[in-house]
Amino acid sequence: MAETVAKKDAAATNPRGIPVAPFVDRVEDYVTSRTDVEKTLKNFQEMTEKYQFMEQNMQRRIAGLNDKMPDIQKTLDTVLFLKTRNLGSDPIEATFELNDTLYAKAHVLPTEEVYLWLGANVMLSYPIDGAEELLSSKLSAAKLNKSNCEEDLDFLREQITTMEVNTARVYNWDVTMKRKERQELEASEDKGKSGTPNG
Amino acid sequence: MNRRMLTKEDEVAVGADEVEVRREDQDKINKFSRLHQREIALEDQVKSKQKEKEDLDDVSNELELADEDDMIQYKIGDSFISLPLTEVQELLSTNTEKIVEETSAVEEKLNTIREEMSQLKVQLYARFGRSINLET
Repeated sequence: MAETVAKKDAAATNPRGIPVAPFVDRVEDYVTSRTDVEKTLKNFQEMTEKYQFMEQNMQRRIAGLNDKMPDIQKTLDTVLFLKTRNLGSDPIEATFELNDTLYAKAHVLPTEEVYLWLGANVMLSYPIDGAEELLSSKLSAAKLNKSNCEEDLDFLREQITTMEVNTARVYNWDVTMKRKERQELEASEDKGKSGTPNG
Repeated sequence: MNRRMLTKEDEVAVGADEVEVRREDQDKINKFSRLHQREIALEDQVKSKQKEKEDLDDVSNELELADEDDMIQYKIGDSFISLPLTEVQELLSTNTEKIVEETSAVEEKLNTIREEMSQLKVQLYARFGRSINLET
């Protein structure tokens, strides 16, 4: 019974393939005797660590996206600004960063073309509308990606919580059993003592 | 994450028989934990947006003193562009509006989350009493 439940739980995953943590419905289904406790706890510990490892990776990915998105947004802002200039308007005077702490002035004539740095030493010229479209799609893709990551992070949090509750419950079960055993032992010893005088 | 052991008195107060964790309890605990994580992230967002709003307000106040004919260096992307005062003020007000909108959206989310959390807290404390610790 416990086996099938565990398997069904283990097979279930979230949309991006992260497995669902098994829920311990009855501790007795997982640990039948106190000898199993250590093994089970170790098993749970391992699973928790795996989830935490994934959590860390996900946090790093989100941080990366958080770095990337303002860059795209900035470029998009600039493109949108250039778009507001039509051919008749005066050249704009821009102070741009030539290097760290060094700025230079430039007169920018109204333009219909912008050059986008695509990375890997490649720069391409785009008509302004094309650039806007490309950047907007990149930005929304990044946002989607981030929201997926956040969803995964939420999901991972839940699995870690489940595992922590599982661990606590198995541990508590062990404590209760230990106490019960001791009581039984004491009870039998008492019986033994009270038995001798009569026997 | 701070863990604590129950004290002897707490344990007595909890009672000998441990409250069984049912699937729905686990789901509630999970949800609480997830909302808590969300809450922290959203709080950060609100803070940074409020900061941005304050900065924009400062800039607008500063510009009140500027001359009509002055050219203002306005930062767009990575470069500063000389623009006449009126245009800068327009850009600023659209930006401020956007920030205010975004901030209130985030705050609204935060409020719903907090409400849900306090509901869950009531339910979970009712079921588990002192065996569970939901404070941070």
